[in-house]
Amino acid sequence: MRRYLGVVLAITVGTAGFIVVITMGQEVKKTLNTDLDLLGGATLVKVRFEEYLPNRDRFSKPPTFQSETINALKTMPGVQAVSAAAAKMTWGTSTWHNARRSFAVLAADGLFFRVNGLAPVSGELFGADAVNERARIVVIGEELARSLFETADATGRILPIDKDLFLVTGVLGGTLAGDRVNSAFIPLTTGRDRLENLGPVDRLYIRCSSWDDVARVAEAVPALVGMHQSAERLRVDVAWDPLKRVQRIAWWIEVFVYLAIVATLVLGGFGIWNGMMAAVQARTREIGLKKAMGAEDRDILIQFLIESLFLSSGSAAMGVLLGRVCVETMSSFLKCRPPEELFAACVMMGIGFSVLLGIGAGFYPSLRASRMEVVSAIRYE
Amino acid sequence: MHRHRPEEPVIEICDLTRSFENGVGMIPVLHRVDLAIYPGEMVAIMGPSGSGKSTLLAILGLFLAPSSGTYKVLDRNVLELSRAAQAEFRRNVVGFVFQSCNLIEHSTVYENLEYPLIYAGIRRRERTGRILDALARVNMSHRLHHPSNLLSGGEQQRVAVARAVVNRPRIILADEPTGQLDRSNGQMVMDYFNHFVEDEETAVVLVTHDPEVAARCHRICYLEDGVLVSRGRPGVFRSGSSSVYTPGEA
Repeated sequence: MRRYLGVVLAITVGTAGFIVVITMGQEVKKTLNTDLDLLGGATLVKVRFEEYLPNRDRFSKPPTFQSETINALKTMPGVQAVSAAAAKMTWGTSTWHNARRSFAVLAADGLFFRVNGLAPVSGELFGADAVNERARIVVIGEELARSLFETADATGRILPIDKDLFLVTGVLGGTLAGDRVNSAFIPLTTGRDRLENLGPVDRLYIRCSSWDDVARVAEAVPALVGMHQSAERLRVDVAWDPLKRVQRIAWWIEVFVYLAIVATLVLGGFGIWNGMMAAVQARTREIGLKKAMGAEDRDILIQFLIESLFLSSGSAAMGVLLGRVCVETMSSFLKCRPPEELFAACVMMGIGFSVLLGIGAGFYPSLRASRMEVVSAIRYE
Repeated sequence: MHRHRPEEPVIEICDLTRSFENGVGMIPVLHRVDLAIYPGEMVAIMGPSGSGKSTLLAILGLFLAPSSGTYKVLDRNVLELSRAAQAEFRRNVVGFVFQSCNLIEHSTVYENLEYPLIYAGIRRRERTGRILDALARVNMSHRLHHPSNLLSGGEQQRVAVARAVVNRPRIILADEPTGQLDRSNGQMVMDYFNHFVEDEETAVVLVTHDPEVAARCHRICYLEDGVLVSRGRPGVFRSGSSSVYTPGEA
């Protein structure tokens, strides 16, 4: 049995790896998507109605996204979250030396910052609670904070916007903030209550589950919007370059992972082949004795094939157990639950592959055993 | 005192020749061998090393094909059998006992005796009965589930004899069955062969170098340079032991 230890290990690890990669792959992608700033930008689809329309009025008020449209987009396959926002260009005056300047105010829902992968440099960003409570708070960009208050740490300051005073609860910065460092953000409900001439909800931010979903979601959005309202003037933006880079990196990682799994399983196959060849040689006399007792070629062939199959499928069964343990551990770590059907399908594929491996690797040694001549086998020392 | 002579031989070899290629030319090992063995007859084949004894036994067991000649068992030309039919012949018509390493390692006595029955398609329930019966005949019932590699040499050979007869063959082929046994164990094995011959009318062909073993056979055939010389009339069995044969006596 010691001879087969490496084989059992290789097939067990290979099968477990296959099950974990397939079962948990989607969940890992989602986690990466959330955790990595670069992916956060790459998997974002921006949808908005344009103000400018050629061949009509040069500028006209864009339509608003209806709640049915937003709800339909939320339920689209591959969509993780949808955030809605409305914008207004206004004047703000700080209490600091009465500094006054013009800036854009974006009234956004509670998911805005999470969907856009934005992070504060000080204070905190608002969420659904502030939107529900219609809180009179504002998050301002880092540059805007500096120009208004001469410091990036403007948390706790009061910022007058239009006729209302807003408490600065956080300052926005970081790599993904982009030109938003010059804007202010208030809860959408508060904006509707307190800002005059706040524009319609003309922009949506759709966070896709993984980079594989972005192209499909971007392509499907106009048709889905068109089912609920006019999709005229609709514009869909995707950061294609970062997305392609992410996809290329992910593709290479996947290729290496699959190659490692295949290499492990093929090594297991070679191990079976080598082990069975050694077993046939070591048991030459046994084969001769069995043939002398009346065993037919096929009896010997079947005996060694069964041994090979037992070895490969037994190892795969252990791989399934190990895979299950790994999937459970990763699920609790990632706080997710992959579909059981996917796990079952992986188990079937893993066992099926191991059966093929057992037959493929064990066939030649078994055939060789079955074709042995009785005289030479019995006299074998 | 002579027993009756059966009409039909169980083994009938005519004009059998076997040569081997040695790279330079063909080396004849058996030359125009004629041999008839009757049911209930025990025949010893003797001869110096390299005289072709084991080759003859291998041909009788269909392990080896002759270069020419005919070989009939129960009036059927067994040389024309397919590979599968040869296997069927080995499991149903003959039983083998070899000189050493006769048992399958890492298997119990029961498992060793079970293999021929499995290959013969005997049902599990019947297999146990036959195994117990065969072991009882060689006084080895007490070792039924004993690992074969833990048995003494004599016990292993007795189990091998039991395995050879478990399928109730018409012929037993034994290649130096007492070669590695002490005198008393050798006598015991020969006693078992005698019982099978007398009780079951089984034909026994054994290769031996031991004149005492050969003396317990009905007939001694001597092979020298591939030529077979037989002492005693085929099929006429003396109830006592035969005298020791020496070349030139025939």
